[in-house]
Amino acid sequence: MPSYTYAVKAQRLLRARGYPCRIRRREKTSSEGCGFSVLINGSCEGAERLLTGYAVPYSVRGGGADDDKL
Amino acid sequence: MINFDNAATTFPKPLSVRRAAAEAIKSFGGNAGRGGHELAMRTSEALYSARETAADFFGAAPENTVFTLNCTHALNMAIQGVMSEGGHIIISSMEHNSAARPTVALAMKKQVTLSVAEVFPDSERTLESFRRLIRSDTRAVVCTIASNVTGQLLPYKEIGQLCRENGICFIADGAQACGIYDIKLSDGINILCTAGHKGLYGITGTGLLITDGQYPITPIMQGGTGSNSLSLFQPSILPDSLESGTPNVIGAVTVGAGIGFIGTYGMNRLRAHEERLCRLFIEGLEGTEGITVYRDAAAEYAPIVSFNTEGFTSEAAAELLSERGFCLRAGYHCAALAHATLGTKGGTVRFAPSVFNTEEEVRKLVYNVKTLKNLPNS
Repeated sequence: MPSYTYAVKAQRLLRARGYPCRIRRREKTSSEGCGFSVLINGSCEGAERLLTGYAVPYSVRGGGADDDKL
Repeated sequence: MINFDNAATTFPKPLSVRRAAAEAIKSFGGNAGRGGHELAMRTSEALYSARETAADFFGAAPENTVFTLNCTHALNMAIQGVMSEGGHIIISSMEHNSAARPTVALAMKKQVTLSVAEVFPDSERTLESFRRLIRSDTRAVVCTIASNVTGQLLPYKEIGQLCRENGICFIADGAQACGIYDIKLSDGINILCTAGHKGLYGITGTGLLITDGQYPITPIMQGGTGSNSLSLFQPSILPDSLESGTPNVIGAVTVGAGIGFIGTYGMNRLRAHEERLCRLFIEGLEGTEGITVYRDAAAEYAPIVSFNTEGFTSEAAAELLSERGFCLRAGYHCAALAHATLGTKGGTVRFAPSVFNTEEEVRKLVYNVKTLKNLPNS
């Protein structure tokens, strides 16, 4: 997530639609340095569609089925 | 002490705002957006909630809702940010110095060309003033929604429409209108600048810049944003690009609480109350020799009344009223253009009630204004 504002926006959108998630501070969310991640347990596919629909900028990092991060 | 200087800043603040401030001091002591620990996260959540509340109130996206120090700060960011590449800018002849000074400063540096649209009591004539000044290189129009001197309402929706038709950025100053009128970006406003501490009932040191994102705003200040920390360049995303440095979280929380108060009380009810107090004040002074009230039947007004009393300068009248326990602002109200438009060379005395004033307080003021010449020291 490019900023905390977007991270909270994403978290509230996701939680309202039944995606349990939490925000975590990261030293690097991109090459430009620290930011925030929204951690989702499980597949990010539906969450990605939701965030795209609301024009929330994000990138998917690392993860795997049990630790996907937006 | 009876405060009728609410156009400068509202006082008292609602109980819910005072409680929100106390809670923010007690609980939101982290630095929003700048840490992952519980205190920082909790504080960040509180800031976001206030941002979301303000965004909903004005029909904007939370990320396009920027907290500022005050309306002047917001207007400076908007004007300088939109005009960073030059062009022609139009302001109204009723602008506060918060809009007039930054535009004049840019014009003096020859960074922009500036035109001033004359405001008339008749909205059609005012609109025509703006229309006539539009040029092919006009980039922005800055216009107050309500004059801070007389309360005159300008035809901001029509000006917004005019701007939209001509591809011009419309920057609206909502300092005296927000919280009293239902102002939305969808009214044709591209960038709305307002105070948080006036009609929104937040504490001093708060303001808002709300944008539809259509016109990029080059930041006038750079610094830490809690994001992209390895980059030496300011982030381009909002609100970070315009919110450098530690935010005023307590202030933002009070703005959120103030908007909540307006919602609970009811904006129409609130406005009706203030308008009733203004009518009572004007009617009370009607027919009194030597009193001039600056209102015109052809214009519409927000709940503010400017007046003068013969034989007293505006400051002398306000001083005498202050000695009787009434707080009214006199002089030029940081609005050189507006007073030049009105022809009030000695300034005016301004009556600006809030939701907390009563009819009884207004009657007392009327009596004291009418008997000004009989007051001690007059």
